[in-house]
Amino acid sequence: MWAALRSRSSSLHPWKQGIAAPPGLTPTAFSSSSFTTATTNKAFLSLQEIQKVLNDVRADDVKVLSVPTMHADWADCMVLATGRSTWHVKNIAQALIHKAKQKQKGVDRKVLPSVEGQEEGKWIVIDSGKIIVHALDEKAREYYNLEGLWTTETSQKEPNPELEKAFVKIRPKNNSKKPVRKVA
Amino acid sequence: MIQPQTHLNVADNSGARQLMCIRIIGASNRRYAHIGDVIVAVIKEAIPNTPLEKSEVIRAVIVRTCKELKRDNGMILRYDDNAAVVIDQEGNPKGTRIFGAIARELRQLNFTKIVSLAPEVL
Repeated sequence: MWAALRSRSSSLHPWKQGIAAPPGLTPTAFSSSSFTTATTNKAFLSLQEIQKVLNDVRADDVKVLSVPTMHADWADCMVLATGRSTWHVKNIAQALIHKAKQKQKGVDRKVLPSVEGQEEGKWIVIDSGKIIVHALDEKAREYYNLEGLWTTETSQKEPNPELEKAFVKIRPKNNSKKPVRKVA
Repeated sequence: MIQPQTHLNVADNSGARQLMCIRIIGASNRRYAHIGDVIVAVIKEAIPNTPLEKSEVIRAVIVRTCKELKRDNGMILRYDDNAAVVIDQEGNPKGTRIFGAIARELRQLNFTKIVSLAPEVL
């Protein structure tokens, strides 16, 4: 399976290979320099284009977050967008894919962004190289709270009130009919 | 090398604590599962007062294995535990946060959601 994966990843997703940066270069510098070559620039959508597409399909609450430093080797920024319904979320994804296709017109080998969760439409991730677009419906956006994860790392350790309650000792209720004997 | 009857830790806040693999999805007679494979599992241990309960059958993606994972550039990756992330039928993670380091091979295998929730990508 891994052999098949390797051949597939080298032919279709050249940007996704785990390239180890040489010791002199920081991973961010290495990835951004490879990203700005002419071929990859043509293949992937830029941030302005993504924002224009999201404006055109009227995605709500678009947010661009830069990725924290320890993640920086696999992505540069995350774009979050909310759709009003599952159809709307699917349409956001379709519009982005369509734009990526249009941009590469005339190229003999098109590179399409990899899309995850398209059948269902609650949370669709469009992974176009260094920019990752998350299209979520309102419930999923509230549930996963990606902004909280990506803006402040401290929010990971949110205290769970139910869990704290579960460990509090509760004195057993006295249901017996016997009269309580008073301790003298 | 995850096979049926293997116990796995849970690397998310879904509420399950320990899983047991009962089936590997993908082929009819597959012996072992590795990082990035989907398995069917039973919850053996769960945190009380959470949506998931003991002896519930769920799907999970393997994110860490004790068996080493080799990359093309010679890098070898291995963890101290076998761990999985609970997903639903559509591939959305049940939990909202993922704990511990995760291999970047998961992104190639189209688990970008799990990778984007993870605190660290190796």
